[in-house]
Amino acid sequence: MERSMGRKKERVMENKGCKELVSEVFEKGLCTLCGACAGGCPYLVAYRGRITVMDNCTLDDGQCYQYCPRTYTDMDAVSCNYFNAPYAGDAIGEVQEIFIARSADLEIRGKAQYGGTVTTLLCLALEEGFIDAAVTVRNTGSWRPESYVASSREEVLATASSNYIACPVLERLNRFPKESAMQLGIVVLPCQALALGAMKQNPPANRVDICNVRLTLGLFCTWGLAQEPFHKFLSEKVDLLEVWKFDIPPPPAERMDIYQGSDIISLPLDEVRQFRMITCAYCLDMTAEFADISVGSAEGIEGWNTVIVRTDTGKALLELARSKNLLETVKIPEGNRLHLIEAAANKKRRALHEIIKVTGNKGELMYLGLSPKAVEKMMDNR
Amino acid sequence: MRQLQKDPLNLINVGVAGQGNVVISLLICSGLVREGYQVTFGQVYPSQQRGGTVINYIRISQEMLYSPLMPRRSADLILGMEPVETLRMIHRYGNENTLCVVNPRPIYSIDIAGGALGDYPDLEKLLSAIDSLTAKTWRVNATEEAKSLGNPIYASVILAGALIGIGALPLDEEVLKPALEKRFPQQFEANLSAFKRGIELVTAS
Amino acid sequence: MADIDIDIDAPGEVAFLMGNEAIARGALEAGIGFAASYPGTPSSEILPTIAEVAKKRGIYAEWSVNEMVAMEAAAGASLAGIRALTSMKQNGVHVITDFLGNIVMTGTVAGLVLVAVDDPSGRNSSNEQDTRPVARWLGIPLLEPGDFQEAKDMTRWLFDLSEELKTICMLRSVSKISHTRGNVLLGDMPIREMKAYYDLERIARLANPIGHQELLEKLARAKEIFELSSFNHYTGPENPELMIITCGSGWLYSREAVKILQLERRVGILKIGTLFPLPENFIEKYLTRAPKVLFVEEIDPFLEPGVKELAADLPPDSKRPVFYGKRSGHLKAYGEQEPDTVIEALASILCIDYQPGDAAYEVEADKAAENHLIPRSGTLCPGCPHKASFWVIKEALKLDNRYGFVTGDIGCYTSGLGAGGFYVVKTVHCMGGGAGIANGMGQLGRFGFSQPVIAACGDSTFYHAAIPALINGVFNKSNFVMAVLDNSATSMTGFQPHPGTGYTAMGDTTDVVKIEDICRGLGIRVEICDPFDIDDTVSKLLELMDFEPIPRVVVMRHECELIRARREEVPYMVHVNPERCIGQDCGCDRLCTRIFACTGLRWNSETGKAEIDEVVCSGCGFCADICPQGAIVKEAVRL
Repeated sequence: MERSMGRKKERVMENKGCKELVSEVFEKGLCTLCGACAGGCPYLVAYRGRITVMDNCTLDDGQCYQYCPRTYTDMDAVSCNYFNAPYAGDAIGEVQEIFIARSADLEIRGKAQYGGTVTTLLCLALEEGFIDAAVTVRNTGSWRPESYVASSREEVLATASSNYIACPVLERLNRFPKESAMQLGIVVLPCQALALGAMKQNPPANRVDICNVRLTLGLFCTWGLAQEPFHKFLSEKVDLLEVWKFDIPPPPAERMDIYQGSDIISLPLDEVRQFRMITCAYCLDMTAEFADISVGSAEGIEGWNTVIVRTDTGKALLELARSKNLLETVKIPEGNRLHLIEAAANKKRRALHEIIKVTGNKGELMYLGLSPKAVEKMMDNR
Repeated sequence: MRQLQKDPLNLINVGVAGQGNVVISLLICSGLVREGYQVTFGQVYPSQQRGGTVINYIRISQEMLYSPLMPRRSADLILGMEPVETLRMIHRYGNENTLCVVNPRPIYSIDIAGGALGDYPDLEKLLSAIDSLTAKTWRVNATEEAKSLGNPIYASVILAGALIGIGALPLDEEVLKPALEKRFPQQFEANLSAFKRGIELVTAS
Repeated sequence: MADIDIDIDAPGEVAFLMGNEAIARGALEAGIGFAASYPGTPSSEILPTIAEVAKKRGIYAEWSVNEMVAMEAAAGASLAGIRALTSMKQNGVHVITDFLGNIVMTGTVAGLVLVAVDDPSGRNSSNEQDTRPVARWLGIPLLEPGDFQEAKDMTRWLFDLSEELKTICMLRSVSKISHTRGNVLLGDMPIREMKAYYDLERIARLANPIGHQELLEKLARAKEIFELSSFNHYTGPENPELMIITCGSGWLYSREAVKILQLERRVGILKIGTLFPLPENFIEKYLTRAPKVLFVEEIDPFLEPGVKELAADLPPDSKRPVFYGKRSGHLKAYGEQEPDTVIEALASILCIDYQPGDAAYEVEADKAAENHLIPRSGTLCPGCPHKASFWVIKEALKLDNRYGFVTGDIGCYTSGLGAGGFYVVKTVHCMGGGAGIANGMGQLGRFGFSQPVIAACGDSTFYHAAIPALINGVFNKSNFVMAVLDNSATSMTGFQPHPGTGYTAMGDTTDVVKIEDICRGLGIRVEICDPFDIDDTVSKLLELMDFEPIPRVVVMRHECELIRARREEVPYMVHVNPERCIGQDCGCDRLCTRIFACTGLRWNSETGKAEIDEVVCSGCGFCADICPQGAIVKEAVRL
């Protein structure tokens, strides 16, 4: 039977299925919990910080394997789909504009992690009818993150702030029925952005219409924490019901601050680091390169975001936000810009080194399909 | 009591659990005992669930009491409520003199309904195999006839009628009427029609 | 289900009865006043046959919660002067052996008969075990009927024997006698005056080992009686080439085998009906008449070693035969016998080349079988709530992700073993076994055990055996979940009443003993869920699987489909919308037909779509709830 999954002719590797996803990704500790494999079929389900295999699937050609950001991914193909250019290996990816920003709305700033830019942009996109709903993440009462579909300002506000724990937001996207005409925005981490990029490049069959995802907001990320182990660790240190914010201040702080009621409890960052997911060590992307707009903290500038605009869609939304005075934007200090580039380049280099340590061979880069030129650039960038 | 052409006369009634072949067997046995024959009616069936094979062995004799299980190649008559099960019985118990009445409506077993072990066999080929391994086979579309009478549940009584209609058992309609009445006091007329229809279906052909 | 009223007073009339009905008739002819049983295939028909006429005849019949109570209740009646019968399958006998070991020491008053029905090949059991050794082990006179007539006559006679010897007597039947119907000549139905009173002067029990000595004396007396019994007889030539020594259904198979091989002039058949104690003198008379002896019996060698013991005591110059049977491998020591197995044994021993039918036919038949036959495994009924229960348990165990599993039990849900229950059931032993095993495992945390254990049992099994295990869990602080699969019926054996159904064997209404009340009385958490409500039940299970040093119970309550179907129309008309069905494609991979696998669902490999078989589908609608594409549609039929 004809399958409606188009595949680019450049792809070298054969696609595989659920069984291989389990042996090559889950069992090797490589799962990033992006959720791209889950929610689209009865066999892969996301629950409590894990992707669970419910029953065996016999297909040897599955969308789960295809979209996984830790199985072979043709980075040039994904990049071309977004930017009409192959993947160059630039430290912070494609940049149309980079600046720092914060929300002009005090209510949003009050709830935000840093500057409230993501919240502002989502509210604007909803108000304008550019999207009907945003697929994002919110924290539950016990600080276990869960995917959430927000379709109003109140609901978006409820999703503000982060806790550094991975949540499989793409699983929630996959659960939209194929007939749904809802236009969607989505907030993603870099690994999720990569998987989403693979989905956009080869639209999925029998699940959400990927063309409905009109707005992708990426979040900067250094690493993510494994949900259940970190949650267990936290619940022994703090009263989770009283916690209202987490923050990791920039180096050289080396700590995680947990805002519990009117107190701030600080944990040594090394203690927190032990709950990093192994798979983050193999990630190239610090700034969520496959997004319309990527947002992170502005190092050293409390209450502000660093914002990178990458696509025309992103640019149009940003202009609208500026014109409606919803965002205050300021030129990024050169020090910040250089430091960001350095940190991002370091992450790329470290990741490649870690990957080569595993494969033993510069030509075999695990899941990465990269041009040799891009590899050289990323390895030597100092 | 009519003299049996063969002693013992061996009848197998096979179906899938839930099809109600016990009903047919009890009807026939009750008629036979009333006529004075020594009858043994043995069953092999799976647990009280649907889906498995139910085999009824009926031994009819004027001389002695026979065992509930039959030796190989000893079936004189096979009533098959399902095609694969009919062939299964023929494979073990059939011989070139066996007469057969079969309801050619397949019931998928759980082993193949899921599609894993292949398909239900080609029905026409299966029925031909049954034809060639028996002296004569009558195909009686009992399920379809029963549906046209209002309920698939009449299929078993139609088949009972067909079995009597082919004349291999020392029983006729008159003998079985009281048994039908006793077994189906509320639905006697409906079941009697179904029974007569069964006889019609084999005497017409 | 006899053709006539089971208690008709028409001596000499021929009835068409199954063995179990004949046993019941024998008990009625013996004038019993009391019958107590627990359902167990192949014995289940005995009690209700008696119960049907109990009120009319002023006798009492009950389904007890388990065989222990049934046996003891019947013994109580006997001790108070009322003839009593208890009947059970082989596993029930396992359960009552402690009591048996004691009632043989105390003796009985009125006739007390135990009917044990074994299941060769274990077609409807968790095992195939022979109950006859119990008689030899504990000292109980034992008879085995060779046909349905004997089933009746022996049962009747055993009450007289039991009363004469003042000890419990046993009848052992097998499925092919108990469930086979045949012509039975009825006896008379005497009316007995029955007055119950327990004699306070009666010595409760003699001191050990005097009680044992007395028992041995009773058995010696039984042997004397058995020497003259007409249940033992010989047919055949005076000095046959081979003598078949047989009992029970083996007799019918042997007769037929001899007839088919035309060996009436060469082979004789010694049929023994009184199996313990053996009629030694009677047997010895025949033992040296043939150079070869073939033992034919069901399940274990029992008659065989008994007779060989006698042979050991023969005078040294006797003509000892060569013995064939299960020990020599001429008959298998496992699985059910039939005429063919006896034919093969005889043919082998006497070097006869026996070919039933034409060689060419054989070849053609084999070829047809190879080309056209498919397996037909038993399965849970369409609409069975146990399937829903196993589905939600599977979902919960997977999401929980700690390699949890189910310890199973005995009932329809025993089919949860394997694919039918989505591989969640990992152990099955006996009634209540799952709860007991869970108790033990719930203590193993100290050894690093971290797998959640769910003990699954049915509602009838709960009353039968699981309660003490639950109490043990409270008392000893064991960590496990008990899932009671409550389909409000004892389905496996034929829908007999139990303490949760609200009515008795004799049709009277009674108070319902609620499972949840018992749990609450123990101070443990109990949740009641409908397994068809997938989300609710899965989330409750996930909660309950969190560690607690005390058992938690979830009652998964939904009526058995077969009972519901007798009463009502189907709840939903279910069909597959082929436009939405994606079949084998990514996103489904045939979840409904391949994994869920209900016989109401069929995979059409030509169209590549699932279909509903409308004749088989029960309209429960569960498949519609799990279809990932919403392709299965359920439309409510009734309001």
